[in-house]
Amino acid sequence: MKEARRIPLLKKMLGQLGIEEERVRLDWVSASEADRFASIVDEMTEQIRELGPFSHNS
Amino acid sequence: MAKLKLALYWASSCGGCEIAQLQIGDKILKLAEVADIVFWPVAIDAKYKDVEAMPEKSIDVCLFNGAIRTSEQEHMAKMLREKSKVLIAYGACAYGGGIPGLGNMFNRELIFERAYLETPSTDNKEKVLPQTKCKVPEGELTLPEFYDTVKTLGQTVDIDYVIPGCPPEARTTWLALEALIEGKLPPKGTVITHNAKAVCDDCPKKRDVKKVKKFYRTFEIMPDPEICLLEQGLLCAGIATRGGCEAPCPQANMPCTGCYGPVDGVIDQGAHFLSAVASVIDSNDPDEIQRIIDGIYDPVGTFYRYSLPDSLLRRAKIK
Repeated sequence: MKEARRIPLLKKMLGQLGIEEERVRLDWVSASEADRFASIVDEMTEQIRELGPFSHNS
Repeated sequence: MAKLKLALYWASSCGGCEIAQLQIGDKILKLAEVADIVFWPVAIDAKYKDVEAMPEKSIDVCLFNGAIRTSEQEHMAKMLREKSKVLIAYGACAYGGGIPGLGNMFNRELIFERAYLETPSTDNKEKVLPQTKCKVPEGELTLPEFYDTVKTLGQTVDIDYVIPGCPPEARTTWLALEALIEGKLPPKGTVITHNAKAVCDDCPKKRDVKKVKKFYRTFEIMPDPEICLLEQGLLCAGIATRGGCEAPCPQANMPCTGCYGPVDGVIDQGAHFLSAVASVIDSNDPDEIQRIIDGIYDPVGTFYRYSLPDSLLRRAKIK
């Protein structure tokens, strides 16, 4: 459960640092949900690919 | 034995480190017995050209305070590295970027706009901004370049030791100076303090159950002087900060702000502090968790008060 508290706080801080929200995602998957796990990983990979490599503008 | 040659320099800093160096009190006489100060802009009249003329490694020890924000500071850091056998990052700014490092939430353009155009007390109708070169009837004037990103001393040149703190406590300064005088130096890279564990280890307050329903800013509550400040909802960085300072801030009922940097083994002090804060939140309900987190103002400035340039991200992304 600690993660459910950490991630919202981390997201708030990353937002302040100008980092796209889509780069961080928290989801819960049971050990029996292999397909769901794979589809979340695919989605996340695609999302990051669209955003491109992380870089600071200055 | 020949006297040690000591140099002290300041870069992007407030001047508090120079005062901290004097706080060793009468021990300064002991220092004067064994060391000659060859360069110290705040106190003695030696010029840059005097340092330039010194042979390589002719300074035994240089205490360098301040972050690297301008081309002049970078130049001096490189020169003093070349001239010094031992280069010590003195204070939070040289170590982690310090308060000037919070400038990494912005860039040069934004900082200049704020400082020279927008501030209510500014009267600058011609919108004059600092230039590195400027022609005047008498000739060309120059200023150092102001960088977009503040760096630590260690990101600029190789450093041998760190004396942490904003400013370093007298006992920490003396611990390092005594080691230098006696020639009993710790391994290269050591952050010199009396306690490599967290500030909590120095703090006498009682810790019980870390469960927080609401975070407060310091002016919002009168904390119980006996109990851990973090447990009372104050964002005390003690848990994520190297000790050795003897916890003067928590003992005065002010939360630790993290000036001694991360504890041993931690790379990113802010992430460590954030993680510790999140783990004391007493709720499993997403909405309530969000409400409690909404009460944390300025997470970056709280978690990375002295270490944003030294963090994994180093700076904010400017859109």
